[in-house]
Amino acid sequence: MMKTVCLILGLIIFLWVSGAEAKDFRFPEIKGWKQSGEIQTFIPKNLYEYINGAADLYLMYDFQELEVAEYLNEKKASVIIDVYRHKTSTHAFGIYSQERLSDTNFINIGAQGYVEKNVLNFLTGSYYVKINSFNTGAEDQEILLTFAKKVAENLGEKGRLPSILSSFPEEGKKKNSEKFINKNFLGYSFLHSAFTADYELSGTKFKLFVIEGAGKDECKDMIQKYVQQTGSPRKDVVEGRYLIPDPHHGEIELYWRGGYIWGILNLNIPSLRSKYLKLFEEELQKRN
Amino acid sequence: MDEKLIGRRDFMKSTLAGFGGLFFLPQIDMKQEIRVVDAKGKEKKFVYRTLGKTGLKIPVINMGVMLTDNPNLIRTALDSGVLLLDTAHAYMAGRNEEVIGEVIKGRPRDSYYIASKVSLPQDRTTGLYTEGATTEEFLKKLDLSLKRLGLDHVDILHLHGVSRKESVMFEPALKAFDKAKKDGKIRFTGISTHTNEPEVIHAATDSKAYDVILTAYNFKQKHYAEVRNAIAKASQAGLGIIGMKAIRGGNQQPPTVKNITASLKWILQDPNVHTVVPGFTTFDQMEIDLSIMEDLTLTEPEKIELQKEASIRGLYCQGCRQCLGQCPEHLPIPDLMRAYMYTYGYRNLALAQDLIMSLNLPNRVCEDCGQCPVKCSIGFNVSGKIRDVVRLRDVPLEFLV
Repeated sequence: MMKTVCLILGLIIFLWVSGAEAKDFRFPEIKGWKQSGEIQTFIPKNLYEYINGAADLYLMYDFQELEVAEYLNEKKASVIIDVYRHKTSTHAFGIYSQERLSDTNFINIGAQGYVEKNVLNFLTGSYYVKINSFNTGAEDQEILLTFAKKVAENLGEKGRLPSILSSFPEEGKKKNSEKFINKNFLGYSFLHSAFTADYELSGTKFKLFVIEGAGKDECKDMIQKYVQQTGSPRKDVVEGRYLIPDPHHGEIELYWRGGYIWGILNLNIPSLRSKYLKLFEEELQKRN
Repeated sequence: MDEKLIGRRDFMKSTLAGFGGLFFLPQIDMKQEIRVVDAKGKEKKFVYRTLGKTGLKIPVINMGVMLTDNPNLIRTALDSGVLLLDTAHAYMAGRNEEVIGEVIKGRPRDSYYIASKVSLPQDRTTGLYTEGATTEEFLKKLDLSLKRLGLDHVDILHLHGVSRKESVMFEPALKAFDKAKKDGKIRFTGISTHTNEPEVIHAATDSKAYDVILTAYNFKQKHYAEVRNAIAKASQAGLGIIGMKAIRGGNQQPPTVKNITASLKWILQDPNVHTVVPGFTTFDQMEIDLSIMEDLTLTEPEKIELQKEASIRGLYCQGCRQCLGQCPEHLPIPDLMRAYMYTYGYRNLALAQDLIMSLNLPNRVCEDCGQCPVKCSIGFNVSGKIRDVVRLRDVPLEFLV
């Protein structure tokens, strides 16, 4: 009986929270600024009316809804806030990572943010927020930060970057180069999604990736299809090391263990490959 | 009710919804060239058309790059015979152009064409340019795009996302194009549109300021006939026509077309379309898209499939009921849309009339409102469809059964 009550309560709370997340965000009031016009809302079907062909990529990251508000002040400066809501925080990270500049001024807002002239973008929970300013002069950064803090506050829990990112070995990693590819990783529909990070060591650039499967069976299926696709089918696909002669990407060394497939792209030095793949495995094991 | 009886045949003839000769075009000389291309060791048939007065001879299938940052996919596309890569300043906040820049580094400059796009600040409700939409802003963005691409010029530069004729003729943009051409930073000017396409295309043609038009064009567009007419006029005036949103993207995610090859063939049956830039993201998708050049002719089963899909998606009210409460006359819009579907989808005019008569509509329907305030969630022209279908009230029943 108690279990049933808890389950029902849990369901109610879950529904309430997800509903609240979607509907209860309010654009903040900012001293010295007034909201101009109506708040615009865009959904998947009409997002392209706001951002043209760029909408396609957002849709690939399970975009749900965008709310846009514009603020004006007496000096005729304007600030436009775009609040993109995605299906999950991973999807929001995905689109954020696709647009994130790796060499920029990172700030501690939400899970992560960065600020440039007239632009401040940040990630918080399942939201990707983009703030643009116009005519703000020397106070531009201060204004952007003020808006960002208030919006982040109203959006609630800041969340974090996907925890799997901490599994990427640090040595040689290009900071903030991590990305989440939501679909068709490496150009294959059977490799559904992956996290990647860019590396550089003594002038050699390469990429590490990890695919999180739903479980062993899904990973086995992906490996099976990959070896078949690349012309090296096997009778037994088992956990372990694979050297795939990919016709488009060159030789790819990857490992499968449990619910993870991890590998390296664009690195032809076997000893370095082994080193990184081992490091990666050790980090992934800590997650289990 | 007005005593203005009309016959069934006249009723059906008077609309564009009937699938007469308009949906499929007759076979004519496409003025295209066929070549066998070595595509990564395999011989493939490629069909080329000339992009209007630009003189660029390009395959009818090229690549819209905006959905991918996979350099090897782009590389493979170029190695497989694709010549034109379509991107934009804004895609992936600039990374899309950077990835292309990595791929084309070292390739002979005349072995590919790059089309990019620059947008200016716009009021998204009106489609008109706002403060900040200056020649300087446009040129600054172009310079940044060139830097990302690692090029000193792009082949085509589009004014991105235009939806109003006033924006087509926007002076600061035209001045920017002029300067960019004189400085050798662009070869040809273009305009891209996926809203109010006929208006924009006609304005671009009349302006004589553009060399290329990039437009949404697919068999599911409710106004495809108007788009087609506008394209024809533009093409006859010498503009190059590039089709987009033919199968994927725009507001269609995941892809809702069932037959990708048929959808691509549909757009290319139009000789006034010189190429299409589908946004493939897998090697398999690329192979499928390129394969249609083996034979661009639509087969009878493909035609039936397209008609069916267009009919269902284009006419069928989704029943979301978001329109309720929007009409100041409180018309029963979902029921009227259902009558429309009975008429054009099921071709059952008697059933449609029966439904309409049961709704006790006022004498004058959709005639007195200046602008229809109803916003349909799937973009139907609600008042247009209502005015069309209520004419069935004037058709004697004996003509319908």
